[in-house]
Amino acid sequence: MRVADDVVCPFCGCLCDDLRVTIDDNDVITRVDNACALGKTKMLHRMDDRLLVPEVRRDGKLERTTLEEAIDTAAQLLAESRRPLIYGLSSTENDAHRAVYRLAEMIGAVVDNTSSVCHGPSILGRQESGEPLASLGEVRNRAQLVIYWGANPLQAHPRHVRRFVRIPGEYIRDPRTERRMWVVDVRRSATARIADRFIKVEPGSDLEVIEALRALIKGRTLDVSEVGGVPIDELAEAAEELRSVEYGVLFYGLGLTQSRGRYRNIDAAIRLVRDLNRFGKWGMMPMRGHYNVTGANETSTWTTGFPFAVDYSRGYPRYQPGEYTAVDMLRHGEADLLLNIAADPAAHFPRDTVRRMRDIPIINIDPKRNLTSLMATVNIPAAMAGVECDGAASRMDELPLYLRKLVDPPEGVLPDRDIVRLIIERIEGAVDER
Amino acid sequence: MTQEILLKNCTVYDPMNRIEGEVTDICVRDGKIVESVSTDAQVIDVRRRAVLPGGVDIHSHIIGSKINSARSMCPEDHRRAVVPKTPTTRSGVGEAVPSSFVIGQLYTAMGYTTVVDPAVPPMKALACWEEIPDVPVIDILMLPLFSNNMITYHYIEGQDMEGLRGYIDWLLRATGGFGVKVVNPGGTYAWAHNLNAEHLDQTIPEWDLTPNQILTSLVRAVEELRLPHPVHLHPNNLGRVGNIETTIAQLEAVRRARRTSKRKHILHLTHISFDSIASVDEGSTRWEDVASGGLELAEYTNQHDHFTVDLGQITFGPAMTMTADGPFQYLLHRVSHTKWMNITVDVELPGGAGVVPYSYSPKSLANSVQWMIALEYALNIDDPWRCVITTDSPNAGPFVRYPLVISWLMSRRERETWLETLNSRSLSRSTLSGAEREWSLYEIAIATRAAPARILGIDERKGHLGAGADADIAVLDHMPSDSSLSDHPEEIVRVFHSTYLTMKAGTVVHRNDVVNPSGVRRRVFSVQPTLPEATRKRIHNEVGQLIDRWYVHSHTNYPVPRRYRQALESPIPLRPAT
Ligand code: SF4
Ligand SMILES: [Zn+2]
Repeated sequence: MRVADDVVCPFCGCLCDDLRVTIDDNDVITRVDNACALGKTKMLHRMDDRLLVPEVRRDGKLERTTLEEAIDTAAQLLAESRRPLIYGLSSTENDAHRAVYRLAEMIGAVVDNTSSVCHGPSILGRQESGEPLASLGEVRNRAQLVIYWGANPLQAHPRHVRRFVRIPGEYIRDPRTERRMWVVDVRRSATARIADRFIKVEPGSDLEVIEALRALIKGRTLDVSEVGGVPIDELAEAAEELRSVEYGVLFYGLGLTQSRGRYRNIDAAIRLVRDLNRFGKWGMMPMRGHYNVTGANETSTWTTGFPFAVDYSRGYPRYQPGEYTAVDMLRHGEADLLLNIAADPAAHFPRDTVRRMRDIPIINIDPKRNLTSLMATVNIPAAMAGVECDGAASRMDELPLYLRKLVDPPEGVLPDRDIVRLIIERIEGAVDER
Repeated sequence: MTQEILLKNCTVYDPMNRIEGEVTDICVRDGKIVESVSTDAQVIDVRRRAVLPGGVDIHSHIIGSKINSARSMCPEDHRRAVVPKTPTTRSGVGEAVPSSFVIGQLYTAMGYTTVVDPAVPPMKALACWEEIPDVPVIDILMLPLFSNNMITYHYIEGQDMEGLRGYIDWLLRATGGFGVKVVNPGGTYAWAHNLNAEHLDQTIPEWDLTPNQILTSLVRAVEELRLPHPVHLHPNNLGRVGNIETTIAQLEAVRRARRTSKRKHILHLTHISFDSIASVDEGSTRWEDVASGGLELAEYTNQHDHFTVDLGQITFGPAMTMTADGPFQYLLHRVSHTKWMNITVDVELPGGAGVVPYSYSPKSLANSVQWMIALEYALNIDDPWRCVITTDSPNAGPFVRYPLVISWLMSRRERETWLETLNSRSLSRSTLSGAEREWSLYEIAIATRAAPARILGIDERKGHLGAGADADIAVLDHMPSDSSLSDHPEEIVRVFHSTYLTMKAGTVVHRNDVVNPSGVRRRVFSVQPTLPEATRKRIHNEVGQLIDRWYVHSHTNYPVPRRYRQALESPIPLRPAT
């Protein structure tokens, strides 16, 4: 029996790194301490629904095959494709991303990560106005007011509140009296129920509410009785409190990025936080979902200059969200092949987009069976990063953390990075032969 | 297998070995320069072209979270400059903030082979190590930030110098860092309270400490540890009119602390363009009153020899300001009305670093005066060995504009052409227009090669062409016997923009305008201070506890794992005890 301490949880953007994992003599994870239910499940049930053997579709049916043949088929499909799309990346480690960009450059593919369907608007907002970023450590040490806007961490990031907010920090000795927590959302979520203040906005009216707060903070009076379903007195009171805070932070989630207004919401939120910096110290942070979606943006940025939605077809990176984003590439019928790696687009994309996926070959690299693997032309099982192979990932506040290998992957199963390298070698070999 | 190369007919500029324009051959074996090679050596005849050691950039932001945030915030920057893939190189983009592969390729083409990233937030060092393999060819050194860090403050406030030395040792080993960077000591910390530290003896929030105490304690600790490179200082009040007073006061504070060190230079003052701003009206801080402090700093430099500088020369056109000086970045954002990024980093930079895009224009009075500061300085100092050419890339412009900076230093004619384009009110704010001095190619070789290598303490292997040096060599497409560069400024720009040939660790990495990084040996230089084992043990425990108290990740996950370092890291010896 072995016990590993301070293990990083490769599930959500909190990247909690205080897990204690117990492993028995047969390389089975028997116990996971400190993690939430999501993290525990990922580790304890790592063998559930696994893809264990490569598969290739023949006459409409997925058949088991060797890794070599799966790589061959993948390489051939990629070589034949005229407009390949590579998508995913957010649930794997950074070295896998680096291998993917090399492949994308080599074959002139479009490469996109899952932020195009979650925090893409946050990135566009940042490109419009910049962004005052907070860090989780400073939140715990200093924040007197924490706002969750359009986010329900109790469900999606279960330890977020407990690790960073409802906990003492160096300059916040008693979090119950010295730190307040607000939730702004369209419904009274689980997080809203434990908040010190809940502001309920009408669906689709976040932008109006943010703009109203900005005006009130600047001392203007608004001649209306309510904005976005929030009584004006309540907003005025909130604005007054915002102005008096010495250190505040705004966490924002998909409720803000994916509701009406999208990147304009974020742009406005950034401006709100910027305005608040005239009164106190304010920062903000997107509640990133997949554990390494932040890393996917970072690796894409240092390699290509752009955080997502990159097209290599001209031999250099071009960037156009709305065009080179995966959903748009599929919806417009532009992509003639999808290489999916460490994501499940069939489960998360809009229905018309998923229908389009049926018309093109799909190469799927993932540890698990999922909706995408059911549609795939080729399935290649992958090791689970942070459990079965090492690597690095970035927390939601851009802190890089090293993910350890705890146990061996199932026999014959390789890390994503090695699978992609094999595909690259196969394509390079084919080019040499010609 | 031994690999030998004979570079024939080199017109050598090797200031460390006092060679100025002598025609000789250079012998290379297995990545090093040697006295002689066998007859099997590959011969490259460079036909009397000028041959310099590989360039050493002492201050350029090339990796890590600041430049990456800037890249992601500014797609508009990248559309101006795209770099397609080639059979030997990867593709990329970017003018002010190029993508990683492009950075290595551009440096290689310019004949630079060693670059210091001067501002690494230590707890994000892992991301830097991940990025380094994607910055081809060049050797890299990293300077972690120490000056706005609660653990640093804990030891200084407790007057525990042994603890401070121990912490520096711990952190440099954990990150693979090379030296100690100090940025706006106390000010960035105060920014967590929306404040700055404008006075060097004011107390900062939450600590019984002043900027001067922080700076001088770190200088003392670095000297006691005998680190190869002294403290690398970005002073307080950066980018403010009249800050020459602060800068000189800080230099004085360090000078008074000098008796603790045997080393001559105990401080490196970086990017003086931003630190030496005077005003026509004493005490005024208005940009209307801006004047160059370049001459004043040069005069101070000529009288006191305890420090070295790099220029941070302003260049016109798009740039990207990025510093660990949160309050400065916010100020710049407020006056320039552009986008602003603040990057808080836990306990190490509670107030945060910042990024603001900026474009320098000769039409602006302020920018015109800023342009003259560093040139005025460089043309008035006695000792080029204490002066390094930089643009604080990309703060005062990207490093690809070094050839322009060199042309301004080497050619009075070229300066006059540029002076004519400046805001006319600026001309009386500096003595630059009267300056006649022209730097020689030998002096340029000092300020871009020999001096930075010596200031960094890596001069055994870098910055010269004598036996034992790394075979990092820049062959310029210029024959000194045929023409004088100062009469042909456009030639200066051409030959420094793209070499005839660049060799890195004995491998030809640039020739005929083709960059080829394949097979080249590269390094990340670090240091390993020596400490009594008992001290190291105590500090190791204490730092672990402090991290677990103040940070929200475990101290065991702080150090960069060997996996990322082992193929690259190479420790540089400490300075000998005297
Ligand atoms: S909060 Fe997220 S990172 Fe932390 S244990 Fe739960 S799933 Fe893992
Ligand atoms: Zn700098």
